[in-house]
Amino acid sequence: MIVNKRVQSSAAAAVSIFMFLLIWHLATRFSELGNILPSPIEVLTAFFVGFVVPVGTHTMFVHIVWSLSRVIPFYILGSAVGIVLGITMGWYPKAEAVFRPIFEIIRPIPPLAWIPISIVWFGIGEGSKWFLIFLAAFITVTMNVYTGAKVVDPVIVRCARMLGANERQIFTTIVLPSSVPFIFAGLQVGLSSSWATVVAAEMIRSSEGVGWIIISSLDVNDTVQTLIGIVGIGTVGYVLAIIIRGIESKLCKWNKRGI
Amino acid sequence: MQNRDNIKIKVSNLTKKFGDLLVLDNVSFEVRNREFLCVVGPTGCGKTTFLNTLTKLYEPTSGEILVNNEPVDLKRHNISYIFQEESTMPWLTVEKNVSFSLEIKRKTRAEIKKSVEEVLEMVGLTKFRHYYPNELSSSMLQRVVIARAFVTKPELLLMDEPYGQLDIELRFKLEDELLRIWKQTGTTVVFITHNIEEAVYLSERILVLSLKPSKVKKELVNHLPRPRNIIDKDFVTLRNQVTELIKWW
Amino acid sequence: MQVEQERHIKTAVKCEGISKTFETKRGKTYVIEEVSLEVIENEFVVLFGPGQCGKTTLLNILAGLIPPTKGMVVVNGKPVISPGPERGFVFQSVSLFPWLTVMGNVEYGPKVRGIDKETRQKKAQYYIDLVGLKGFENAYPNQLSGGMKQRVGIARAYCNEPVVMFLDEPFGALDAQTRYLMQEELIRIWETEKRTVLFVTNNIEEAVYLADRIILLTNSPVRIKKEFVIDLPRPRDYTSEDFLLLRNTITKMMDKTL
Repeated sequence: MIVNKRVQSSAAAAVSIFMFLLIWHLATRFSELGNILPSPIEVLTAFFVGFVVPVGTHTMFVHIVWSLSRVIPFYILGSAVGIVLGITMGWYPKAEAVFRPIFEIIRPIPPLAWIPISIVWFGIGEGSKWFLIFLAAFITVTMNVYTGAKVVDPVIVRCARMLGANERQIFTTIVLPSSVPFIFAGLQVGLSSSWATVVAAEMIRSSEGVGWIIISSLDVNDTVQTLIGIVGIGTVGYVLAIIIRGIESKLCKWNKRGI
Repeated sequence: MQNRDNIKIKVSNLTKKFGDLLVLDNVSFEVRNREFLCVVGPTGCGKTTFLNTLTKLYEPTSGEILVNNEPVDLKRHNISYIFQEESTMPWLTVEKNVSFSLEIKRKTRAEIKKSVEEVLEMVGLTKFRHYYPNELSSSMLQRVVIARAFVTKPELLLMDEPYGQLDIELRFKLEDELLRIWKQTGTTVVFITHNIEEAVYLSERILVLSLKPSKVKKELVNHLPRPRNIIDKDFVTLRNQVTELIKWW
Repeated sequence: MQVEQERHIKTAVKCEGISKTFETKRGKTYVIEEVSLEVIENEFVVLFGPGQCGKTTLLNILAGLIPPTKGMVVVNGKPVISPGPERGFVFQSVSLFPWLTVMGNVEYGPKVRGIDKETRQKKAQYYIDLVGLKGFENAYPNQLSGGMKQRVGIARAYCNEPVVMFLDEPFGALDAQTRYLMQEELIRIWETEKRTVLFVTNNIEEAVYLADRIILLTNSPVRIKKEFVIDLPRPRDYTSEDFLLLRNTITKMMDKTL
């Protein structure tokens, strides 16, 4: 029965994507839109061609790898720091009092706005790009984990105390595990946030990456190129999300409703 | 003129399947007009499915449910329900909670006012009409729930384990109140419960269901005179009889 | 020479003049007022009475979860000032650790107290079997029914080998029939592993079925109204004449809250 449902939802997803492409295609073919928007066939063809014929100086694949190499390590770093800070703020009121105000000020600032500061601090090389990606992950993950650590069930904490756990043990055996679903929620959102930030990051003087594809396409007014950059970002982002969901379902078996 | 000899509800060969899972198996019974029927069964016997099928929340796989000799139709038949964990709407006063179901039925202002007055009087909450749920005790909240169910002057009242989690003292009080209101309004009541003592205390007739797939195991008539006493020898005998029929523990 | 045998009656729990008050705008409100009681070793005592909060507060104070405003609690000769493993507690709401299996939950107490894996798992297995959940060691709480979850809760509290067990309406969320089952099971478990038990409930049948002694409490503020010794032989019959008579007597004495 469950397999049936999964097949059903995959089929539904495939149908909806197909419908979207169909509507896009018809719109470009039969309306004014065709003057400014290339058809999906053009875009997808160019996308796959890009794996053989270089876009700029590299093929699609190399561009994707460049972007991933910037995002993944600093997403992981930003998430790790975010998890630590989030749990600490959520569980220890003193930490909350100290860090929360600063955090609330930083939170609403979009990555784009950080570019000038990033350049001043880290130059126009890779460092400033890494910083933006780190920031995107860090902010999102901290918020989610902080929320999770704050809502640890007090009855469960009391149970642990009755059973003889000391404060440190309560932190490691109760607060941490009960925050795991929130950590994963943060990781999911943080990943899409970091990955999307790659565009802003690659605005800082680069010559490769999926973000660069989009940015350079504006210079040469090549809409097809813009769109294949978007397709690249979208598909890779989608795959990354699936991977994280897979990891979560393995580690969070206990969170699903009973069989 | 509807009197006690008329059949209010006639259920014939009611069967409910969820995919391959057979929950209700060929259940047939009748409920007379103005009767107080209790339905009991072992834990997990599908009592809630039973109720949901009666109220058309679930479509029966096969079988027929007749109310007043016509197929049950929620728009035409005046049926009220009180479920487990029934809750009042915390943003409405007592008065507004009670009038809610009438307002949905688009009754006139005058009609609503009159019905609400009557029913608040009946449950003794007239003085509290402008209070909010969070200002009331749990017994008063239960009375709001009863008032809300009776304000539409239902011909049939379906109750699913409404007093399950309550204090025993509160429970007895509410049961007595329910009986009083039942007698006063002449509603037909189908009351589902796990609690055998409660079933013996309230019912004129007891329908005993079997384990899944549920069938009607037995129908027992309850002749005990009212008011009933749980210590009474006859009460205990009937209680033990029902317990014997469903005991699985 | 005849040596006289002295019967040792050891007091497990003793409290004197326990009061709990809350400061409100209108002044001091007494939740519990001057409660003194004594429970002897291996006695099954039920705290019974109407209302919701007072009995739980009293139990929490006796177990060391919250401090009294006045008075002192002594368990096994030692004053109670904080929660601890020698006082096992079973809560009313589901309080199992959802990320741990049944085994993980039951062995938690010994684990945090530093007992080695082999010993503690053996002990946990013993209690898992005792509560009737053999075979479910690797199940997660979200796969268990309400009754089963409470069994795990009981096993978990027992596994720490407490001196006194405190149970706060553990069967309150169960339906009437499962409740009967759990009451029988609890007595069976208790007779196998005798401990001192303090049990809170608002269900009179449950109280009379389980207790050696029922302490009838008032509500708002909580005070001791009367004590009843229940010396019916076990296993008890809910519909026997003696049982019903006792039930009636105690119910009549209860405070009317309505």
